[in-house]
Amino acid sequence: MAQSTRIEPSILHKLAKHLPENGSDRWAAIRQKSMQQLNSTQFPHKKIEEWRFTDLRPIRRTEFSHINDAGTYKASDIEKYFIPESDRSRLVFINGRYNETYSSIGGLGKGVTVGNLSAFSDDEYVKKYLNNLVNYEDDVFTHYNGLMFEDGVYIHLEEGAKAEAPIQVLNLYTGSEKPFIANPRMLVVAEEDADVTIIEDHIGLADNTYMTIPVCEVKVKQRAHIHHVRIQRDSENAFHVSRPIAYVEKNSEYHSYTITLGAKLSRNEPRVVQEDEEVDFTLDGLVLIDGEQVADTHSVMDHRFSHAESHQLHKVVVNGKAHSIFNGKIFVQRDAQKIDSFQENRNLLLSIDGLVNTKPQLEIFADDVLCSHGATVGQLDPEEVFYLQSRGMTEEKAKEVLTYAFALETIENVKVESVHKLLIDEVYRYTKANSKPKVTA
Amino acid sequence: MLEIKDLHVEVEGEGIEILKGVNLTINKGEIHAIMGPNGSGKSTLAKVVAGHPEYEVTKGDIIYNGESILELDPDERSHAGLFLAFQYPVEVPGVTNNTLLRESYNTIAASRGREELDPLEFDDYIREKLDLVEMNPDFLERSVNTGFSGGEKKRNEIFQMAVLEPALALLDETDSGLDIDALRIVADGINKLHHEDNSVVLITHYQRLLNYIVPDHVHVMIGGKVVKSGGKELALELEEKGYDWLESLATVNGEAK
Repeated sequence: MAQSTRIEPSILHKLAKHLPENGSDRWAAIRQKSMQQLNSTQFPHKKIEEWRFTDLRPIRRTEFSHINDAGTYKASDIEKYFIPESDRSRLVFINGRYNETYSSIGGLGKGVTVGNLSAFSDDEYVKKYLNNLVNYEDDVFTHYNGLMFEDGVYIHLEEGAKAEAPIQVLNLYTGSEKPFIANPRMLVVAEEDADVTIIEDHIGLADNTYMTIPVCEVKVKQRAHIHHVRIQRDSENAFHVSRPIAYVEKNSEYHSYTITLGAKLSRNEPRVVQEDEEVDFTLDGLVLIDGEQVADTHSVMDHRFSHAESHQLHKVVVNGKAHSIFNGKIFVQRDAQKIDSFQENRNLLLSIDGLVNTKPQLEIFADDVLCSHGATVGQLDPEEVFYLQSRGMTEEKAKEVLTYAFALETIENVKVESVHKLLIDEVYRYTKANSKPKVTA
Repeated sequence: MLEIKDLHVEVEGEGIEILKGVNLTINKGEIHAIMGPNGSGKSTLAKVVAGHPEYEVTKGDIIYNGESILELDPDERSHAGLFLAFQYPVEVPGVTNNTLLRESYNTIAASRGREELDPLEFDDYIREKLDLVEMNPDFLERSVNTGFSGGEKKRNEIFQMAVLEPALALLDETDSGLDIDALRIVADGINKLHHEDNSVVLITHYQRLLNYIVPDHVHVMIGGKVVKSGGKELALELEEKGYDWLESLATVNGEAK
């Protein structure tokens, strides 16, 4: 709620004065609304309950530039991230702007529309849903994206349409000298009985400072299925603030898997809102962090109708002085009976200086529900390490194997083969780098 | 092959002495059984020989093939040919039996100068060993001990022993929790694996295992010491009389046991 107190202008408020230089007026209505919301919303700080464990001063203090040029990069820097399954179903964005050269669409079959949002501003579904599904109240980041975004992903599947290939959404961030802010945007509408797999990847090409604020709106209509994989491999100095929200209708399924590897500071707020009975959804996460990384996940699973099955396994490995925060809200509204909801947050601490804050939060107003939840924080079990050592593995190798095994469970359900393999490689790279004590120079 | 001399052991950092001067000599080709009541230090002895980091040797030595192994890590002891079958085998979700064993086999092979096997060669090798403990090949693709019944876990330990071919195997209560059929399978497996160049130490509460595996020597541990040693007939005597008649041997010179 807007307060009568004066809004202290943050870097986002200041930058808002520079509307995008080429700022078209195709999003004028959204920009105008977002500007009003931004101007009446305070930049978050630790006295706000939802932000008490996450220090945003590094963002507040960064002198972001309103200029966002694409910088320099080679074709090979980009092409190496292409997955073979999406040879003709790939959208590439560089610093939040659509890149036609590297994108390749047209291999998705009948009834599937894919492209850059800005080319679809007159589309009836874009008009109907864009910025109307997003529901992050009092959030300067969402409002800032609404004010500044230009391009984005648009995916629409007609009734009964099945995408013939997974859609790869590559968000690349270049090694620009000045810190910039990218505002990726995404709208996915799956009509009745449609089916699509989306691989959303965020990759920093260098080690520079930037902030990306991906906002994603998903509508899953009756009996439709969406499999959504989100990989965050941002630069080690980047800030990543994401707001993906999905609305699930009767008999539909939405399964989301978020893998957090990069960024100095990330705040991921996935939300799923049930719109009718008989739905099935997943909000799984895997976080592998090290050094001084901070990875924060605040999720919401909102059960509003009867007969839902929901699942959330959030696994975290922390090394060095890294800090993980998890707050998983599960709402079961009064009329939502026969809900079967599972939530588990398991944290593995590899170092003594690592920190984990975890808070499962169940608010149940119905009386006939099955909700299980659990949170554990622990180290590698010395008995397990000894067992593997007694079978010939060095202590280092034993720790690597056990960490790898801990992390692997969460990516088992990623069904695109090359992505499953690349995630295994990422897990392997992390465990290999983190199983031995750090040598300090 | 293995010589344990006046071994005193404490739990690391707790100052409680568990082994109070154990002496034991195991020669090549022999089978030894160590028996004794709960809490007598049998399992501790096995873990200390395998190098468990929880225990601290405060006095004495463990000599293996003529050299002290006290400074060796558990993996180095395994490379040298030692093997411990765990009383409570650990579940390792996410790592298949096959992966663990190939990794172990090749690491040990490399350090003992044997030829390493590629996945296909290893597959042939491991399948022969499955028959030895009557295990289904499905076991290979299952995560190590995860969701296994108690009996399956124990059989898996003997299967690992079959694959790794240790020179000295310490089997810590491998017979407990087994039904009579599983006990026979496990015992047959151990008998087939034993030959004149390796040695086996059976740690057990019960005489029944010794109906299947005939030991050359039987030792009784009470209060952190070996209080009596003898031939296989000692096991039968224990079965008949229990351990009470030996309790007094655990206190020497008025020292608490």
